[in-house]
Amino acid sequence: MTAMTKREALLKKISTYQFAALDLQLYLDTHPNDTETVEKMNSYKEMAMPLIKQYEEQFGPLTKRSEQGNNWQWIKAPWPWENEEDC
Amino acid sequence: MFVYEKKLQYPIKIKTPNAKLAKVIMSQLGGPDGELGAALRYLNQRYTMPMPELRATLTDIGTEELNHIEMIGTILYQLTKNLTVEQIKAAGFDDYFVDHTLGVYPQSASGAPFTTAYLASKGDAITDLHEDLAAEQKARTTYDNILRLADDPDVKDAIRFLREREVVHYQRFGENLRLLTDKLDERNFYAFNPEFDKACFKNKGNKK
Repeated sequence: MTAMTKREALLKKISTYQFAALDLQLYLDTHPNDTETVEKMNSYKEMAMPLIKQYEEQFGPLTKRSEQGNNWQWIKAPWPWENEEDC
Repeated sequence: MFVYEKKLQYPIKIKTPNAKLAKVIMSQLGGPDGELGAALRYLNQRYTMPMPELRATLTDIGTEELNHIEMIGTILYQLTKNLTVEQIKAAGFDDYFVDHTLGVYPQSASGAPFTTAYLASKGDAITDLHEDLAAEQKARTTYDNILRLADDPDVKDAIRFLREREVVHYQRFGENLRLLTDKLDERNFYAFNPEFDKACFKNKGNKK
């Protein structure tokens, strides 16, 4: 992989925890009473939370729900398909 | 409803443009076993599905397929970004270019535009789950073929992630089929359509 910027490295960390949670959520769809997996899934979600907060403070909102302030940060590049050097 | 997260499910950063490779990967956007067909297949089948587990699985896998549409679109965009006309001609990308320039358009590798004929929504849970199991395997084979044709490690990394998801989804759909048939009359699953014949469940009271 090409060397990552600070923003990309933080985003990758968030995606890793979110992916772990998502994969367990799919499993829970067919095993809804597996409490151990529910706990594990929640712990991954919790690990992502402070990183999401940090990312959004530094680089702007990941969802429109977390948009704040008095100018519209949402439109700011890069969009997910772009690299920083394109912007 | 859907909420957009301004990020990819898995990061993609391609250094080297390669229009020839873009042309084959395109099939996983708009081809017969591509991600667009997958998302539409699951998100449309789910409305009439019996059992909460099945409805949840189709909603969640269908939603994940939307992420995969975006990942394939990103690969196509990055592989064709800033190409010159000479590079386009040399890569044999001119037949795509003439219709779409460098815009991302859902078609198969051989140029057939996306069609909903690539997917089924039969309104019978047993039939649809078999379709879904086959669809995941067909997509897995397509990713295997892409991996045979690709030599760029940046591209292969993302394709390997997508390939693994096909395997996991197949596993989940298999569990769905098992959950469903466990609830049906084991002497003849096929005596009923579990989405249409409401009396087919062994314990009618359990159907939520």
